[in-house]
Amino acid sequence: MDVKLTENKRVDVLSPVSLKPRRKGFNVMPMVFIGPHLLLFALFFLIPIFFGVYISFTNWDLINTPEFVGLDNYKEILFNKESTFYTQLHTGLGNTFKFVIFTVPACIIIPLLLAAALHVKPRGSKVFQAIFYLPVLFSISAVMIIWSMMFNVSFGPINHYFDSAPNWLGTQPYAWVALVVVTVWWGIGGNMIIYQAALNGVSKDYYEAASLDGAGRIQKFFHITLPSIKNQLLFTVVITTIAQFNVYGQALMLTKGGPSGTTTVLLMYIRQNAFGSGQSIAGIGSAMAVILGLCIMVVSIIQFFLLREKK
Amino acid sequence: MKKLNISTLISFIFLLCMTLIWIFPLAWAFFSSFKDEIDIQSYGFSMLPVHWVITNYQDLLFDNSSTPVAKWFMNSMIISVTQTVLVLVVVSMAAYGYTRLRFKGRDWLFSLLLASMMFPAVVNLIPLYKIIDTLGWVNTYWAAIVPGAAAVFNVFLVRQFMIGIPLELDESARIDGANDFQIYTKVTLPLIKPVLTVVALFTFTSSWNDFLWPSIVFNDIDRMPITPGLQLLQGMYVTDIGHAMSAALIAIVPTFILYLFTQRYFLQSMSLTSGVKG
Repeated sequence: MDVKLTENKRVDVLSPVSLKPRRKGFNVMPMVFIGPHLLLFALFFLIPIFFGVYISFTNWDLINTPEFVGLDNYKEILFNKESTFYTQLHTGLGNTFKFVIFTVPACIIIPLLLAAALHVKPRGSKVFQAIFYLPVLFSISAVMIIWSMMFNVSFGPINHYFDSAPNWLGTQPYAWVALVVVTVWWGIGGNMIIYQAALNGVSKDYYEAASLDGAGRIQKFFHITLPSIKNQLLFTVVITTIAQFNVYGQALMLTKGGPSGTTTVLLMYIRQNAFGSGQSIAGIGSAMAVILGLCIMVVSIIQFFLLREKK
Repeated sequence: MKKLNISTLISFIFLLCMTLIWIFPLAWAFFSSFKDEIDIQSYGFSMLPVHWVITNYQDLLFDNSSTPVAKWFMNSMIISVTQTVLVLVVVSMAAYGYTRLRFKGRDWLFSLLLASMMFPAVVNLIPLYKIIDTLGWVNTYWAAIVPGAAAVFNVFLVRQFMIGIPLELDESARIDGANDFQIYTKVTLPLIKPVLTVVALFTFTSSWNDFLWPSIVFNDIDRMPITPGLQLLQGMYVTDIGHAMSAALIAIVPTFILYLFTQRYFLQSMSLTSGVKG
């Protein structure tokens, strides 16, 4: 991935650095410099990951010593149709997948259109760009407070301007529409900037050659622009998908998982099982987290190989 | 004479319409934060306040019994600033180690760190809570400050930048008798300021906006930062638009101001960090 950082430094992902050794023999200096980060990394990332997988095979309750129960948790949540946790996993994961499928295309296409329009550099494009990026800077909870009031049936502007508007957050499919709208509003800034940089990198010669061949605007877009920014498109599809799998705040604060559980996403159940009121069922919660994690990991692995290819 | 360019015109109109959609919720939130609750109940929807009042802000900031917004704001400030400083120190030292010091297995170790980024963080949520609990950090600032410094991505970013800096400067300092600490502080740190600025800005904003993790490690209402605090507040002001909007605006002020002054860093560095959130 060739990218621009401030001062036009070209950055080359994963390129190995070859330095000549300065000294021979054992040196404590490296540990002094990388040690602090390595320690934090081990304690707060590496150990919890392995521990997290382990406790998904136990009946842990966050307090007592975990007892190994083999695949019981997974059997319970995947196959035991009588179990509440079975229902939780299936509705939760199903809703998470729906959220991914509904939001990812919008989070690719809309910023792409914005970037294409900004690329023409009409008057005020710097201001437009700054405004589209702005919500990225805001927290999910602040954004959801604002938007839940936007959708408020009695006092909100949306139902005021559209006469026969529905109860957005309380009925389907409007609740999903609301979730997609706020997610797009909140998070497309990053993709937009990536596409802007990508479009700047497409050589003008291609367009001129196409014009000579009599290609129209739309033909040029599909035959020159899209293939030229293919890598950035793939990259953003992957990172957007990973980000949307972790959906939590929107469903929690905007639709409260409703109406009747149709937008309750898996992270809400994981959290409820592990940290909810009453006794913790961290084992089950972990098994759910591992399953969600596996879905994300499949996408991450694709990303890893995409990045390596650009070496 | 320049002829009227159709595509420029279409782009302009499209962008203008989209901008209005993007601005509207913020503008309405801003005006609503100055509305009197009684006016909202009796007049229904309006863009501008019928009477401008600042009681919403006063209530939230000074009557701090159940939703201590001022306290939350201070907690967030302490957490975000401390985490930013911690990340800058830890990450720049690690990047120095991975680019400037030669030791066995260095690049192999770094590749392992990079590969670990594939592991989904959702799996470590529950055990991480246990570790924080064991350290006695539940309901303390440390719970929100320290785990974030473990992230590999920042090290990666700074390391990439440092690779681009020629070694001659280090070498000449070394000939002058400087040791690694002196080279790190006197030579390297000044040179990597641009990338450290980016790391600092992103660390501060992501720390300020972090939602799920602090909502797990803080249950003491006086200790929590503002982002999870707003979720509690939402439950208390379900239809009270004035108070809810004031609280949301108070919460977005710091990152908004930061953005006003450092916009170019955010907009340029995005192609690196691809900050899409979910």
